[in-house]
Amino acid sequence: MNESESITKSVAEPLPYQGNSIYGGHLEDMKVVMEDILSQIDEVRKSMIELRGKDPVDHCLARIKSEESMREKCRNRRLPETPHAALRLIHDAIGIRIVCGFISDIYAIRDRIAEFRNTRIVYEKDYIRHAKSNGYRSYHMILLADGKYYVEVQLRTISMDTWAALEHQLRYKKNATANDTLIASELKRCADELASTDVSMQTIRDMIYGEGDLWT
Amino acid sequence: MKLLIAEDTRDLNRALTAVFTHEQYQVDSAFDGLEAMKFIEENEYDAIVLDIMMPGKDGLTVLRETRAMNIDTPVLLLTARAEVDDRVTGLDAGADDYLTKPFAMKELLARVRSMTRRRASQTVKELRFEDVILNTESYELSSGNSVRLSNKEFELMQLLMMKQGRELDTGYLLEHVWEGEPDVPEDTVWLYISYLKGKLQSIDSRTVIVGNRGGSFHLEAN
Repeated sequence: MNESESITKSVAEPLPYQGNSIYGGHLEDMKVVMEDILSQIDEVRKSMIELRGKDPVDHCLARIKSEESMREKCRNRRLPETPHAALRLIHDAIGIRIVCGFISDIYAIRDRIAEFRNTRIVYEKDYIRHAKSNGYRSYHMILLADGKYYVEVQLRTISMDTWAALEHQLRYKKNATANDTLIASELKRCADELASTDVSMQTIRDMIYGEGDLWT
Repeated sequence: MKLLIAEDTRDLNRALTAVFTHEQYQVDSAFDGLEAMKFIEENEYDAIVLDIMMPGKDGLTVLRETRAMNIDTPVLLLTARAEVDDRVTGLDAGADDYLTKPFAMKELLARVRSMTRRRASQTVKELRFEDVILNTESYELSSGNSVRLSNKEFELMQLLMMKQGRELDTGYLLEHVWEGEPDVPEDTVWLYISYLKGKLQSIDSRTVIVGNRGGSFHLEAN
């Protein structure tokens, strides 16, 4: 999962340190929270299929950040390796990625997530309208579930997901080379071409279904 | 190529119109300065051949008013006498070239060709409209964000930006962006306008394309 910007104010009570896991005794509860949100996403998909005959979601992934990568993230952010850091100061211990066909699906699902039971939106980042400087695009939502656990939801189109996956594969070359600037600008160009195609596909869909205000 | 011929001598006007039409230009003919101004206000031309001595409004006035409206269409002046002052005034008022009567038709045709060719190759690296920048080398459209345009999207956006402040109708856009491609349905223009509308939104720009399906279009900043 990509790193999200943190908010300094923590919303829930501090957690005591328990056992050896960085998540203390919370792993089971976290799984329950993740499953609850996944089942609510399923409900949204089903109701949208009923409404429009098509599933807006291509695929959906969920994970709890592994023990090691959470510890690594704590170290990178100069935080103690404690449940409080992992669950309160860092907000992507529970991560859900929803990959959609079209840009408009992302915003439609975002609106439905805003109405989810037992959760509220803590903050959101629209990296689609405001892409990161390297070209990364996604819609990020940080939810607080049961007033206790943070969940990072990433919404993307298939194109955005493709770019992020391939860029991730290319990022892990150890030594810097003279061509790094060229590579970065070419990856950005690819992101901008894919983003352009996403808008075109959306426009074609709007034309076919007479949606939006352009073709009606 | 769309050409305006403004010449009050009827026979010469008819002859010029016939020759340019034969050369595959689309020609509008004006017989005085007022009529010429009306044509210029209502249409987009690739070149204008303008006689200096005309009733109603003389050629230099037409030229000055045209440039004052931000219309940069290449203009060739026809001068009756070999008067240096007229030619200097004309060139200073924004004419691209001149020809002294009497002239050889061959030379006029060549000068119009050269004038329009020069204009086509004179593209700048970046076009700007309000908060939008279009890079003419990379086809990057940027504002808060950036996307890459396809060829046709680029040509359409380039026209809208170069002719800012002017209404460009669907026929004109079809003719210039899809030049030499027969059987292109009229809705193609609207589809490409729609692509650009979406892309302007996606780069978080305040700029919008104003106009309805099948109609005329121009850029505007919200």
